[in-house]
Amino acid sequence: MRRGWPFYAQLGLTVLLCLFIVVPIVMSALAGVTVNVFKGLSSGLTLRWIFEVWDLYAQSILLSLWLAVACLVVTTLAGVPLAYVLVRRPNRLTRMFEEILTLPVAIPGLALALALLITYGGFGSFRSSWVFILIGHVLFTMPFMVRSVAAVMSAMDMKTLEEGAASLGAGFWHRFLHVIMPNAMPGILAGALMVVTLSIGEFNLTWMLHTPLTKTLPVGLADSYASMRLEIGSAYTLIFFVLIMPLLIAMQMLANPGKKRRAALQPAEDE
Amino acid sequence: MNATAMAQPGSQTVQTEKTGGTRIELARCTKTFPDGTRALLPFDLTINGGETLVLLGPSGCGKTTILRLIAGLEFPDAGGKITFGEDDVTRQSIEKRRVGMVFQSYALFPNMTVAENVAYGLKVQKVERRERDERVRAMLEMMHIDMLADRRIDQLSGGQRQRVALARAIALRPRVLLLDEPLTALDAKLRVKLRTEINSLLRKLGITAIYVTHDQEEAMALGDRIVVMQKGAIAQIGTPREIYRAPLSPFVADFVGASNRLDGRIEQNSLVLGDVKISLDQIGHAMTGDPIKNGDSNSNSRSGQGLADIYFRADGLAICAPDQGQIRGRVEAISYLGEKSRLTVSGIGESVITLDVDPDFQIAIGDDIHCRFNPERLTVFGRYPDARNAAQAM
Repeated sequence: MRRGWPFYAQLGLTVLLCLFIVVPIVMSALAGVTVNVFKGLSSGLTLRWIFEVWDLYAQSILLSLWLAVACLVVTTLAGVPLAYVLVRRPNRLTRMFEEILTLPVAIPGLALALALLITYGGFGSFRSSWVFILIGHVLFTMPFMVRSVAAVMSAMDMKTLEEGAASLGAGFWHRFLHVIMPNAMPGILAGALMVVTLSIGEFNLTWMLHTPLTKTLPVGLADSYASMRLEIGSAYTLIFFVLIMPLLIAMQMLANPGKKRRAALQPAEDE
Repeated sequence: MNATAMAQPGSQTVQTEKTGGTRIELARCTKTFPDGTRALLPFDLTINGGETLVLLGPSGCGKTTILRLIAGLEFPDAGGKITFGEDDVTRQSIEKRRVGMVFQSYALFPNMTVAENVAYGLKVQKVERRERDERVRAMLEMMHIDMLADRRIDQLSGGQRQRVALARAIALRPRVLLLDEPLTALDAKLRVKLRTEINSLLRKLGITAIYVTHDQEEAMALGDRIVVMQKGAIAQIGTPREIYRAPLSPFVADFVGASNRLDGRIEQNSLVLGDVKISLDQIGHAMTGDPIKNGDSNSNSRSGQGLADIYFRADGLAICAPDQGQIRGRVEAISYLGEKSRLTVSGIGESVITLDVDPDFQIAIGDDIHCRFNPERLTVFGRYPDARNAAQAM
């Protein structure tokens, strides 16, 4: 089949756009493993910068991972029941609550952080602990967990499922753990990945809340850009990239669950 | 050989349940929703052990609310009382009531296989693994879905899903089986097939069953007795034959399919319709008194004078030779239904009348026809204010 010029024009534009995005990533990643960026690749490749970043910022990286896990635990434990209540009892109060819950996403992280600092800044040991940052992260990521779980829950006719389970003798906790939770799992998983990704990458709010001892991965990144060689900053980017990419890919895969499975198994016809 | 051994616990259940279905009584029950809506006016209702009772009525009439009261998904207002046999369950939650429920939307658990769905209740009741497996197997065999045991719910057809829902509901040997429009989501042909299956299942189990539907035909086919509901109140309770042949009010007559209505008069023990005069003694079902005071159609107020509503089905009026005709009409439409043709006729009453003829009868749209009433098939209501209001409200 012959394709006309519009096809090639579009193809060219698409390739250009992709390059526009991909080339800086490759450049940055390469810079992280180049001996001397200013001399270019001819100066040779090395893992030295990566080790150096690890020596300097291992603590920040580990803190970020720890924060992400803690944030996930809190948002799951609080967010799933919260989503359940929002879907099960839709009234003015719960709708208002949902709006308030979403506010931290709309408000700039800096403003949110400032509010936290004004309110709790006086509690010295609390202010300087990682828990302070965790609270910021939970506030920021909670709506993503709740929204994602609530979307799945409202699609599954929870009321009737629960009534069915109750008629078989199942009390609230049994219903919640064996019927509601398993069926809401796609939403919980999608929300969890979102929470972890956002928590690891969060900068605005964390930058305001951090202390020299509670630096996270992105804060360390800013720090290294500002005060280190370009190679170290780039190596840092590379590490960040390696951490975050698998999460993003997993999120994509979860976004359309069971597509293949459903296509393979057509529902039976009535006899 | 193994299969017969497995089937035994199931068949034992059938035996024990057959001898004693649970008798259910609702006394002085009303239901007011939190927003103040009166969903159910005060009523008493008794469902005999092993009986299949059908709650029939248009949407919003309260039939589902009664079912939910019995299930324990709603509670009656203070003063109402619900008993299962000797057991007062008025304030008991659904988890404790031991009821089986089948929903219009099936409410099967999508995260479980067919067998796991059926086993769920047994698991909750902590029935031991071996017995559980046996009972699940017996249930699936009884519903002819044993080959689907390991399927996921989204791989089943609508009919198969409803069979799983039934198996799941009866696996726990409930005291009463509650079915909320279980066939409404299925297509017409399958509906009739499953209706027959449910009917024989209920007879076989001998379980007390309450079946909610808005489909008159379904109600007739399944019910030992039918409760016709209208706006939160019970309009009539009776066997299918009573409801069909002797409706107590114009609403019931219309709802169970007597869709033709004519205005007439009652004069000296006769029904008068223009030039036609038919003795009330010949009329199949005449209610000329106030049905609330005397529901008996043979009450002595039959000779009262006044206006009358006449209801009949397509068999209440027949085409005849011109010299024997009582009234004349004009054919507006003809639908060929196979074993008969249904005519839509104007000129007899205010609105059109439907009547059936032999499908080979030569007739065309626009023809004038002469008809005779079949008095046996007429239902006549003397027009008292209440009945008029009810008819208008429809």
